[in-house]
Amino acid sequence: MNFSLIVDTFEQMEQTSSRLALTDYLVSLLKRTPSDIIDKVIYLIQGKVCPDFEGIELGLAEKMAIRALAQSAGVDVPIIEEIYRKTGDLGDAAKEVAKLKNQTTLFDDKMTVERVYSTLDKIARTLGPGSQEAKLRLVSSLLNNATPRESRYIMKFVMGTLRLGIADYSVMDALALAFTEDKSNRNTLENAYNVSSDLGAIAKLLSTTGLESVKSLQITLFKPIRPMLAERASISEEALGKMGRKAAAEYKLDGERIQVHKNKEKVELFSRRLEKITDHYPDVAEAIKSIRVDEAILEAEVVAINTNTDEFLPFQELMHRRRKYGIKLAVENYPVVMNFFDVLYIDGDNKTSLTYIHRRKILEKIIKGSHNEKLRLVPQTIVEKSEQIDKFMASAIENGCEGLMIKQLTSTYRAGSRASAWLKLKREYRSDIADTLDLVITGALYGRGRRVGRYGALLLGAYDSKSDIFRSTCKVGTGFTDQLLEELYNNLENHLITHRHARVDTGMEMDVWFEPKIVIEIIASEITLSPSHTAAMNSIRLGYGLALRFPKFTGKIRYDKKPEDATDIEELVSLYKKQMRTITGGR
Amino acid sequence: MVFLAKTKSPDEWKAVTSAISTLVDEATFEATKEGVSFRGMDPSHVALIDIHWPNSAFQTYDCDATIKFGVRVDEFSKLVRRADKKDAMEVTVGNDSMLHIKISNSYRKEYKMRLIEGSSSSTPLPKLNFNSKVVLTASAFDKILSDVQVVSEYISIESKHKQVQFLGKGDSGEADIIIESGSEGLEELDVQEESKGTYSLDYLSKITKAVSTAGGSVAAEYSTKMPLRLEFRVANIGRIHFYLAPRVQD
Repeated sequence: MNFSLIVDTFEQMEQTSSRLALTDYLVSLLKRTPSDIIDKVIYLIQGKVCPDFEGIELGLAEKMAIRALAQSAGVDVPIIEEIYRKTGDLGDAAKEVAKLKNQTTLFDDKMTVERVYSTLDKIARTLGPGSQEAKLRLVSSLLNNATPRESRYIMKFVMGTLRLGIADYSVMDALALAFTEDKSNRNTLENAYNVSSDLGAIAKLLSTTGLESVKSLQITLFKPIRPMLAERASISEEALGKMGRKAAAEYKLDGERIQVHKNKEKVELFSRRLEKITDHYPDVAEAIKSIRVDEAILEAEVVAINTNTDEFLPFQELMHRRRKYGIKLAVENYPVVMNFFDVLYIDGDNKTSLTYIHRRKILEKIIKGSHNEKLRLVPQTIVEKSEQIDKFMASAIENGCEGLMIKQLTSTYRAGSRASAWLKLKREYRSDIADTLDLVITGALYGRGRRVGRYGALLLGAYDSKSDIFRSTCKVGTGFTDQLLEELYNNLENHLITHRHARVDTGMEMDVWFEPKIVIEIIASEITLSPSHTAAMNSIRLGYGLALRFPKFTGKIRYDKKPEDATDIEELVSLYKKQMRTITGGR
Repeated sequence: MVFLAKTKSPDEWKAVTSAISTLVDEATFEATKEGVSFRGMDPSHVALIDIHWPNSAFQTYDCDATIKFGVRVDEFSKLVRRADKKDAMEVTVGNDSMLHIKISNSYRKEYKMRLIEGSSSSTPLPKLNFNSKVVLTASAFDKILSDVQVVSEYISIESKHKQVQFLGKGDSGEADIIIESGSEGLEELDVQEESKGTYSLDYLSKITKAVSTAGGSVAAEYSTKMPLRLEFRVANIGRIHFYLAPRVQD
């Protein structure tokens, strides 16, 4: 199959914003796709080489991709970097660079989908020492024969920046139309997708053996099931009303949702996004083996824990587990526990059609029977009054949770759907910082994607009046409308300088620096200790400054304020201390 | 025994393996009654090597059927390099899917190397007509390439009736080398039509350095804006052809 067929379709898709048109383009592409490679085409449409749960990434550093471009086009790296800066996307840059290409090839080989796919697959599977160089050679072997338009998509695949705006559902619509001429068959595909999470495999099944074989697709161990999702409720009374006055309330832990698959001694863990994350939690995988059933699919929230106090720690602690190397040390330094809340499959039996109450009973038996202190049950209680919910909520918050999950007792597990049978009830927005802060813009990073040619994130500082220096306290990238971005960009241009201003202090590396002149208003959820921001450095803890968590621009540029009128370091420290009191005071 | 080939010295194998290693990591050789051959392109399809090594060039040659065997070029090359210049070398493929390399002179040593799955596809040759032909000694050719590489990443070859010009241009400056009949190292100049082609020096100097240690001469044939073919005339190897696609230079 000619790769140009995919390129033509993708270009058409990028130019339309109508969902119907998108589906039509997909249908016509799928109809022209030979069934032996339809799974591969489906993965390419989704911008990947295999379903996420296989845990395979292309993993080519941006720098190496630029070098691959340089090699195959015979154009120097700085020239490519310049083009990249202008276009903001390496795919678009590849198209421009390919036009400059001056090395011809011996044969005029046609680029085929098979070749593109198998090369991408090889790139993804090349691991270990020297792999970056090998990946580079593979990328440039493709680029060498590619036309500029083909180069653009090849690079987008490689960098993972293909954004066609295609949801899984549109792909299923298109598959239903292309192979059954009936869009309503999407439901069958969706059911199959919910239990297998592999659209490529479903497409192949559909195109080779038809809809009936898709219908009979069953839950398979080590192919993750798409998780059931919850709707949102804002107050306990509303939640209880929706549940029919009686429900289960569970702690909503501030951790990572994990789907556990176990077959005897083999264990795999999948994230909420169905990526394989077993490597992050080898201790958990080991502990799971103490569960005394042969086959199981379970759901749990993994949470970092202080083993001295048995307190739950915030989600951020889990980030230390997201690493390729040194995981052994991370396991020691950042212990976790698993908090199970559902069971989907046991020893050949699909349990998703059982009621919540029934599933919870099975789960309790299994987890308690494992006698492993790392394997626990999510704290749960049955509630019939909103006061009970409020009380349970208070203890959840006190224990470091985000809020509660309210679940209907008679509900079944509906894979892949966001159903009102589950409600999440969060505590009302954190008011740790009741006030807004006025901070000074001191530097910026270039924008990517939609923000090309403007700034992506601004570095902000608080004013240290004692030493007359602006010390950084956050980078902010949210809360900007296009118009505000434009206005700020134009204003900041007048204050652009080539290096960090002498009155600016930070541990952050920025693309550009400014004179500290412009003050903007920021709202944030809380203040945290930070090793990279220098505001109030050492005043709370040695080696740490204070940073804002989840900072957001309110939209107000404070033209009325001089930089010296910005929030003072002293103020920041007293806000932080106030926050500390709130949390400890609650215990 | 399926295949056995014995040479008086390892030089030919050294030239062959180092030539191939400039283009590919894995190579599939084909042995027939007539001799050993290899044909392969680099992954980007810019250059191609075509080698044929006739049975008459070997001291002993025995191959009763057509067989293909794949090797990792760097591994093979490493073993070949363990032989001294005067060592006789015997390469065999047995039924154990291993390549056996016996080296003998002062004492006998034998290496066994795991074969890899060879590629089954065959590489075609580009169909070309050449309007110009320049034959130089390998050392003169190598020197010209190095001369131009000082300033440039590519070399333009421009042939006229009585002379051939090698040109290069880079950020730091330009190189201009003129070879005419009587110039040292020039063995033959045959120009049917004046031609000019530009080629990557990276490819050219790597292959030339790899093969020219074996001495001999190099015939360069090409036409305007068309691929270049280098024929390395090395004693005892029938044919080493190197094809290189041109660059388009403004």
